Amino acid sequence: MGWFKRLIDFFTLGSDRPIRRLIAYYVVLGAVVFLLFHFIPFFDRLLSGEHIQDITKNPQLLDDGLAAAKGKGGPIADGSSRLDLTITAVMVMMSTLALMLPVSWVFMSARRTRDFNQSIVQTLIILPIVVAGIVLVVRTSLALAFSLGGIVAGLRFRTTMRDVRDTVYIFLGIGVGLAAGVESLTVAAVLSIVFNFVVLLTWRYDFGRNVLEPTAASAWTEPLTELADNRVDAVSVPDRDLVLALSPKKAAALAKRFNRVRKILGPTKKKPRFNAILSVTTESLSEAQERIQVVLDGLARRWRLDQVITNEGKPSELYYLVGVRKEITRDRFLTAVRASAGDKVLAVDLEIGDPVATEKREAK
Amino acid sequence: MNAGRWRSGGLLGLGALSLLTACGKQAFRAQARADSIVVVQREAHFREALAHSGERDGDAPIARWELPARLKEISGLALTADGRLFTHGDERARIYQIDYRRGVIEREFDVGNPAIHGDFEAITSVGDSLYLMDSEGVLYHFAIGDSTAVPYTREDTDLGSKCEFEAMTFDPHINALLLGCKRVHDKGMRDSVIIFRWKIPHASTDTVEHIGVAFDKLVGNNGWDGVHPSDITIDPRSGNYVLVASKEKAIIEITPAGEVVFARPLPSGHSQPEGVAITRDGVLIVSDEGESSPGAITLYRWPR
Repeated sequence: MGWFKRLIDFFTLGSDRPIRRLIAYYVVLGAVVFLLFHFIPFFDRLLSGEHIQDITKNPQLLDDGLAAAKGKGGPIADGSSRLDLTITAVMVMMSTLALMLPVSWVFMSARRTRDFNQSIVQTLIILPIVVAGIVLVVRTSLALAFSLGGIVAGLRFRTTMRDVRDTVYIFLGIGVGLAAGVESLTVAAVLSIVFNFVVLLTWRYDFGRNVLEPTAASAWTEPLTELADNRVDAVSVPDRDLVLALSPKKAAALAKRFNRVRKILGPTKKKPRFNAILSVTTESLSEAQERIQVVLDGLARRWRLDQVITNEGKPSELYYLVGVRKEITRDRFLTAVRASAGDKVLAVDLEIGDPVATEKREAK
Repeated sequence: MNAGRWRSGGLLGLGALSLLTACGKQAFRAQARADSIVVVQREAHFREALAHSGERDGDAPIARWELPARLKEISGLALTADGRLFTHGDERARIYQIDYRRGVIEREFDVGNPAIHGDFEAITSVGDSLYLMDSEGVLYHFAIGDSTAVPYTREDTDLGSKCEFEAMTFDPHINALLLGCKRVHDKGMRDSVIIFRWKIPHASTDTVEHIGVAFDKLVGNNGWDGVHPSDITIDPRSGNYVLVASKEKAIIEITPAGEVVFARPLPSGHSQPEGVAITRDGVLIVSDEGESSPGAITLYRWPR
């Protein structure tokens, strides 16, 4: 199908935007239909929706008295009707396939997670063709419809969809198959086009998002901040699925932002700015903070209050990131803290080294 | 994929498209309208049967369509100039359009809203309109519309005292409705088939002519007690009048002057022939009211 991809690329100017590619596909499909319509008058019948109108306008197929007398279930198919049958069936099947292909593409691309079920994708292609074939056979025959009901009842086609939208895709497949089966391809085409664009647009604009939940883009704020602060050696991706959920435009913007930050900061593996964590347990938070900060100003190259944990009914905890001067030992540092704020702190500790690496090691 | 394979694929695709186009042109250009596969098959079968009707037994029908219960008491038949077939029930003025080639009731509509009730016996088309007649000779005139109920005008021929009507058709050559009697009340005409000619539009000063064909000329060796026409139509090729008789299960052809061309029984299988029509392409259509079997319309090659 490389030629087809190239054709779509030609129409979309090589764009990877799903909506642009979808429009190009339908334009190509429309051109093919126009040619078929022009050269094969029969195709008009498949497009017109005449049959669905007939069905809704109450056409009634009369019983064939001669066939019944001969004990035959239906009319005799001669050569021309066999050709008619064959071309009708082929046209309906091919049209169904052509209309369901973009649906499967949208199914695969417009998702938040990449772990979709491959069998559903294949079902989306095959199911409508089968439905169209069944409708071609059953059509207005009540007897065949009941028979079909019996056969289907004998089969257990039950599956649990992980996503409600997957069920909607299956419903769409059935709808397209039905429309094609009653030779109303216009309805099938409109169904396919409208569905695809609505799904793509709702995905593109994240329609229906709970405002209390972070967006995909906002979930990148933290890793970007880490990068800016140079707190970690390699910026961690918060969620792999998050990357896949980003639209191409958002992903490009994000990459641009990352590159900009990296450029400003230079290489990531430079000397850490802090080499110790000072942890303090206190019941007088503000007073302890004031006194400790006096000590930090005197003994540390740089420091930053990293976290304050307040516990209801219990002492609070203070964590400082500290760049301790080389000549200052741990004991001297702790002695200075206790001397300055001894009556205000319950416990104090200093971990010297690469605090983040140590923390990671401990976490493991 | 290399260039050679591309070329081969392209040529194959082009060939397939050409074949499909050729098939499409030949097989479907003339087919402006069609239905489901079953119906398409029926039409193809009908065409084939019509084309080979000369090789078949003349009494063998081309097709027979069994009607639903609501048309068990089917009565007259009317063919429009463009080949649409209309029929109606016996007591309610509900008109049905039937595609006789494919055996499909295409649409139905009421005359009047609500539909008028009566003892309706015959229907015929005049231009784009239809006439429905009851057994008293009262005419209901209405246009063929797309709506589910159409308005009508009523006209009493005042011929109800002369006979009980059952047959009607339109003769475009004399611009008159031919109203055929099933039972004649006038003692002087009881031994004849009587057909009135009702000019349309009808002026009060217009005289109502009639033709009579004596039973003797019609019965012949058939052993009938009499002849009770249930519908009449005009053979579009010869201009002769063709009648069916319900009680006798007979088909009769007479000239407009009243000369008998033939009078013979219909082939077996007719329970109660109530309507007759002949298409321009030579198909005789006979409708039968159902008794133990459902109502039906049967198609034969014409002339047989």
